[in-house]
Amino acid sequence: MATVAFREVHKSFGATKVLHGISLDIAEGEFMVLVGPSGCGKSTLLRMLAGLEDIGGGQIAIDGRVVNDVDSKDRDIAMVFQSYALYPHMTVRDNMGFSLKLRKEKQNLVDQRVANAAKILNLEPYLARYPRELSGGQRQRVAMGRAIVRDPKVFLFDEPLSNLDAKLRVAMRSEIKALHQRLKTTTVYVTHDQVEAMTMADRIAVMRDGRIEQLGEPLELYDRPANLFVAQFIGSPAMNVFDGVFRSNSVSALGAQWPTSARAAEGQRVIYGMRPEHLEPASSGIAAEVVVVEPMGAETELVVRIGDTSLTIMTRGRSNAGPGERIFLAPHAAHAHLFDAASGERI
Amino acid sequence: MKRFTREAVLLLVAIPILLWTLLPIYHIFLFSISSKDSAFSGALWPDKPTLRNFGTIWREEHFYLHHFWVQIWNSLWIAATVGALTLAIASCAAFAISRLKVRGGRSVMNLALFTYFIPAAFLAIPMYKAMGNYGLLNSRWSLVLAMVTLASPYAIWVLKQASDKLPYELDEAARIDGATPLQLFRLVYLPLMTPSMVAIGTYALLLAWNEYLYAYLLLSHEQTITLAVALGHFIAADDSPWELLMATGLVYALPPAAIYYAFRRYMVSGLTAGAVKA
Repeated sequence: MATVAFREVHKSFGATKVLHGISLDIAEGEFMVLVGPSGCGKSTLLRMLAGLEDIGGGQIAIDGRVVNDVDSKDRDIAMVFQSYALYPHMTVRDNMGFSLKLRKEKQNLVDQRVANAAKILNLEPYLARYPRELSGGQRQRVAMGRAIVRDPKVFLFDEPLSNLDAKLRVAMRSEIKALHQRLKTTTVYVTHDQVEAMTMADRIAVMRDGRIEQLGEPLELYDRPANLFVAQFIGSPAMNVFDGVFRSNSVSALGAQWPTSARAAEGQRVIYGMRPEHLEPASSGIAAEVVVVEPMGAETELVVRIGDTSLTIMTRGRSNAGPGERIFLAPHAAHAHLFDAASGERI
Repeated sequence: MKRFTREAVLLLVAIPILLWTLLPIYHIFLFSISSKDSAFSGALWPDKPTLRNFGTIWREEHFYLHHFWVQIWNSLWIAATVGALTLAIASCAAFAISRLKVRGGRSVMNLALFTYFIPAAFLAIPMYKAMGNYGLLNSRWSLVLAMVTLASPYAIWVLKQASDKLPYELDEAARIDGATPLQLFRLVYLPLMTPSMVAIGTYALLLAWNEYLYAYLLLSHEQTITLAVALGHFIAADDSPWELLMATGLVYALPPAAIYYAFRRYMVSGLTAGAVKA
């Protein structure tokens, strides 16, 4: 177990600056998720921590030791790649034991560690197989096994679930989380999927264009997004947002008054945000026209329209509203988010 | 019906081509099992087929065959050494350029490509002069070095293209696992490159095995020449022993045939890789 620290880390590829001074402290045993749209620099940051990418500026420290000039192999880290990167010509057993063999560990120690990892990951029946004889989920587990066997200070995951189908992804998600709870190894996990980030992380760093937009616990990000980008990135379906003007404790927008407990200057141009599940249909309130109804069993997603603006509503249970019908929305003041129209920052 | 017609047309084209290809080989075979008198009889099958020619070769019982075993050994030794050296050079170069991404790799590739444009025959005299300067004339090494020079550029190209197809994450995973570049080369790269290496090794080996011009120039002593050059000597006289020449030629053609047969699985996939500059 170890801490990881990024201090003012910069990186450019040619003239393109991809990281603008990232500072981030990861605690011992923490599960940190870096999330953001593609091209935000999250993978580059991870690869710099892994030693696969030169550090353009600033410092990266593992357990207090600056590793800028330390080789990958001497950083005591293990990485799981999106493509698994298993050695195709080696059996599962040899894949998992490869790093220990390179370190010239004794054979019985290698066997013992591999057996132990195989047991944790339910890979025991497959030890003699080759990667090509395994399913996607099994390959992913071998890649994780290869990381566990080394007992490293830090686990790095680079979009490890992106190549799996939806069902397997959910299953592997909980496996990785369970694994972390068991081993308590400091973990840095990169993904573009905010659901993965929300469900797995101790803390999330939301990144965009080479900067951290917000750092915090999953629900903190969900409940109090620092700006419009985070508000829309975290949460599925995404938060409804529209322009309005703050007037006497509410926001006038889309031809109606939207309640809010947040305060802005009288007449200030704001962006009003409300998550789909906080926009329940009611017997009276703001009128809207139903466009699409998506029943999902436990809940129902409605797409409604007010004027030209589409809003998404998530209601618990079933809905008997049909397309073209008029319904009323009762937004809850306490759940309204206000953002400055110019800067996008939370008010 | 349409399909049948198309296949019939293809067969009509294929059969003459096949015959055209096989006819010389049949001729060689025919000569090699004929006695000296009946070799030129023009019959499709000799009256009394005989294996005596092969016995003569085996026992080196003819003036032109006095050094048969030494000469075929020279051919084998030179071909095998050229194959091994070319593989060593090309795999190291391809690994360094494709996987370690060394500076100047592109220039090396372009230079290698450039050497394609110069016909090998064009370089024969300069090569002769160079070997003379180093005192290597009449040594098997002179032919080995010359053939490695000719085979390497193509070999580097093919292996580099094949290397580019290996996922780069494998190298990164190995680096994180603690592999040095040499360990990466030995434990990850070489095993995965085996099919291309077999194809390229065979290519270089056969190039050297079949070489005549360079062998003729660089080697001149009865004890050092390859079998290809020795075969050329047969027709130097007015009264050539054609039946022995053809029998020896047939023997000479067997090792390549055996190699092709053994490695046929690797040939097509390995040699077409790198056929186009990606």
